[in-house]
Amino acid sequence: MKRRAAFPFCAVLGQENMKRALLLNVVNPKIGGVLLSGEKGTAKSTVVRALAALLENVSVVELPLNATEDRVVGSIDIQAAVQDGACRFEPGILMAADQNFLYIDEVNLLSDYIVNSLLEAAASGINRVEREGISYTHTSRFYLVGSMNPEEGKLRPQFLDRFGLYVKVEGIRDAGERARIIRRQLEYEKDPEGFVQNFEEEQRALKEKLARAKERLTHVTITEAAMKLAALLSEKAGCAGARAELTIVETGRAMAALDGRTTVNLEDIKQAAQFALPHRARKIEKAETGQETESSGEDAASGKEEESEQSQKNSSGNEAEPAQKKNNVPENKTELEQKEKNSLSEDAEKPDGTAYSDEIDRRVPEKESEKSGEHPDAVLEEEIQKIGQTFEVKNWTGEMAFPAVRNGSGRRSIVHTSSVMGRYVRADFPKGKLWDIAFDATMRAAAPHQKQRTHSNMALVVQKEDIRTKLRERRVGNTILFLVDASGSMGANRRMSAVKGAICSLLNDAYQKRDRVGMIAFRKKSAELILDITRSVELAKKKLELLPTGGRTPLSAGLFLARQVLCSQLQKDPDCLPILVVLSDGRANAAQGTGNPLKEAFREAAKLRGDGIRCIVVDTEEGFLRLGLAAELAKELRADYYKIEDLSSDFLTRIVRRLEEF
Amino acid sequence: MNQTKAYPFAAIVGQEQMKKALLLNIINPKLNGVLIRGEKGTAKSTAVRALAELMDEREEVRGCPYSCDPNEEACWCDACRERFEREHQLETVKGQMRVVDLPVSATEDRVVGTLDIEAALKTGEKRFEPGLLAQANRNILYVDEINLLDDHVVDVLLDSAAMGVNTIEREGISFSHPARFTLVGTMNPEEGDLRPQLLDRFGMAVDVTGEHEVALRTEVIRRRLCFEEDPESFAALYEPAQQEIRKRIQSAKALLPRVLLTDNLLTLTAKISIFLEVDGHRSDITMVKTAMTLAAYYGRTEVEKEDLLEAARLVLPHRMRRTPFEEGDLDFSKVEELVRKEEWQEARP
Repeated sequence: MKRRAAFPFCAVLGQENMKRALLLNVVNPKIGGVLLSGEKGTAKSTVVRALAALLENVSVVELPLNATEDRVVGSIDIQAAVQDGACRFEPGILMAADQNFLYIDEVNLLSDYIVNSLLEAAASGINRVEREGISYTHTSRFYLVGSMNPEEGKLRPQFLDRFGLYVKVEGIRDAGERARIIRRQLEYEKDPEGFVQNFEEEQRALKEKLARAKERLTHVTITEAAMKLAALLSEKAGCAGARAELTIVETGRAMAALDGRTTVNLEDIKQAAQFALPHRARKIEKAETGQETESSGEDAASGKEEESEQSQKNSSGNEAEPAQKKNNVPENKTELEQKEKNSLSEDAEKPDGTAYSDEIDRRVPEKESEKSGEHPDAVLEEEIQKIGQTFEVKNWTGEMAFPAVRNGSGRRSIVHTSSVMGRYVRADFPKGKLWDIAFDATMRAAAPHQKQRTHSNMALVVQKEDIRTKLRERRVGNTILFLVDASGSMGANRRMSAVKGAICSLLNDAYQKRDRVGMIAFRKKSAELILDITRSVELAKKKLELLPTGGRTPLSAGLFLARQVLCSQLQKDPDCLPILVVLSDGRANAAQGTGNPLKEAFREAAKLRGDGIRCIVVDTEEGFLRLGLAAELAKELRADYYKIEDLSSDFLTRIVRRLEEF
Repeated sequence: MNQTKAYPFAAIVGQEQMKKALLLNIINPKLNGVLIRGEKGTAKSTAVRALAELMDEREEVRGCPYSCDPNEEACWCDACRERFEREHQLETVKGQMRVVDLPVSATEDRVVGTLDIEAALKTGEKRFEPGLLAQANRNILYVDEINLLDDHVVDVLLDSAAMGVNTIEREGISFSHPARFTLVGTMNPEEGDLRPQLLDRFGMAVDVTGEHEVALRTEVIRRRLCFEEDPESFAALYEPAQQEIRKRIQSAKALLPRVLLTDNLLTLTAKISIFLEVDGHRSDITMVKTAMTLAAYYGRTEVEKEDLLEAARLVLPHRMRRTPFEEGDLDFSKVEELVRKEEWQEARP
């Protein structure tokens, strides 16, 4: 379809970095594309689409979000198969994108399957299709251009690395400039054709400039010093692999060519590094990229991939890594952690507690006596503590997949759903009862056999073995239920404030990942569902703010209610992935029946374990006198156990890592 | 579904801001839609459905599934373009702007369109079966409870809303067609949030609340009862008022291309956005366009400061939140203060 005259590239005001990064790629495609990341409404897509009009011999191929795998890699031509009995390959987007720009808007929302196909092709430059009776191979060297709003989610590091350059896009803050932008937009909308004509002269000049630069590029030389600087800068940024250096050098060459020079100077390299490093750097301020790079697990994953395809790998990147990791540790510690250093080491030495049931009996009376004494538990008056320090949650839903182990399906927040809701990404062989048939895939499967089959009045004869069903994925979040201990002991030492801060951080992240949340608080004699499972994270925050502390600790009641809520949720939506996060010190002292309150709580915990609900226990106990009851509760729940001291973004990463492996 | 008579727009009691926002979008389809936020039972859906009765006739290409405009070549679909090249003219029919419903349970294939299975099985031909986005072209796409819509469907909506084109690369089909629609969504904020990215795509947002005055509430009930008893005569009763609105829309539409605004107002728009730290430039552009449409609505060809302020009230509220947890309230007195300060500075020599 011919679209109406696109907004001309030269008419885009400001956004010099974005425009330059794109032009550099036009001059030198070896740079390997651009990722434009920034707030909404900053002309990201406009500029990319405008670029197409400037290009000769090269085009901008778009990959829409709703693409299915068969259209991306290519597949059998059904029409040819049915009508002529020919087994012909029908090229997909990867073929169209060969030697062209491949543009993905909202690239961070792309399905993992599609991302995997792209990564595979990007790594080898070849698209190998072996499916539906088709065996076909073609080159597919494309230059990735992506745009995204980081608020909406992040990219996997391997994928990130595929983008040559990175530009952070921001709105313009100058009133006069903004006014001119509005005026231009109005003029364009009023008369697109006339508007485009006004810029024709300028567009032609730019085209010529690009053509000259392309020609000049082959003559551009680079000095030893400039190359060294590129390597040094990459190493300093802690980049793994040699792609960073290579990209800097190629970008530098393009800069020189574009500016009419034939040698790359140091200034070029410095500038190029600003484009090539932000998304690859291991140690980086969040504010600068909005994109966190990763440690440990992903290093291994991306590193491996790197090795396999880049034989001339420079070792500098690897050397930088361990040093960097060391640096990371103190940064991630919270004040809290510092404060509680002593008790932490004490805790670490605590034995595993094999005979913990005996210990409970021993400890419970101790606990009762405390209650009557001056222990914080005795603080009975209510108070409402403010939400404490919040922090950025790092990769908590594990967007970073473990491709090798996890079969590429990746994301914790992606469910292969059995209902007909969800995005159809690929077809699969039917399992169990037949429904939600993928007609396209079924036809492709049937197509190669049409010649041999006897036809009635249908052009296409489908047999049972051809049938494929749709594999749909749904970006549902988890259902996270917070079980918050709001008893008096939580009021001590602003403990509740820290807990609220932690929950709030999780809620922030839950919002981004589209998780659903709920909250139960237990105090005094009973547990209360203060927020039923909802998507309104905002509401959760409001409820959290108003949550008072005070009274005794009816842990068992809390667990009982949590189980009720989650089980009924599971019944409503079997895909909901429930997670129970218990924040308590485990010092149960209010029973629902007549028995021992702690034993009662443990019985409830065992039931939850029986239901197979994933649990996380965050121990809020503090001070020197520790009973370690929360740890035992965690064992009973078969939950991951963490101390509140660990409540930093690093901590959350680890929690979810574990969940992912599960 | 025209069997049941819709409740007339003119008979809706109160909710002036919502009604105005909807009318502005009919006058100027480039305003990028309205998001109506409010509790249940505040005439949200009624108002949107009532719009259909207010729209006047327009030309469409006969038999085109996308209701292409024969006079706007730049937006034709491939089929219309081919037909024009072959026959050098396009047969037209009279049509009317419609309200196309997107139910919350809609699957992605039905929204974007899919492979025509019947054609494929019978003839082996690969044909595109248009979906809701095809129907929505040049119409109003109405999503009730938009915050409950599945996220991937929202992504697709975003994509098309942004470009005015629906691109399909799925199920063996590679196709694109025009999808320029006015998005109208309603939601109850208590049931969850919309992502900021989607919020930003809505030109304006209005918050509706139930009427609190007893007299007005009584009037709401009275009219509703009247309508249910005899929809036909109720509609007839309001026909003159409806006609009045139609006329106003028409004259505003005619006036709109001639509306002018000064550079000072443009700068003021930019200053408001900068002052409120709104993301991106979409708000500026929408604010100005809304102000121009408002001027046309009031029968003027010159945008006044008041128009801009009124536009700001419609365009800014849903763009105020920078993080999910910030209260997204728009403190309008601050904007007014800023405008006064600007005025004062202008007045100085």
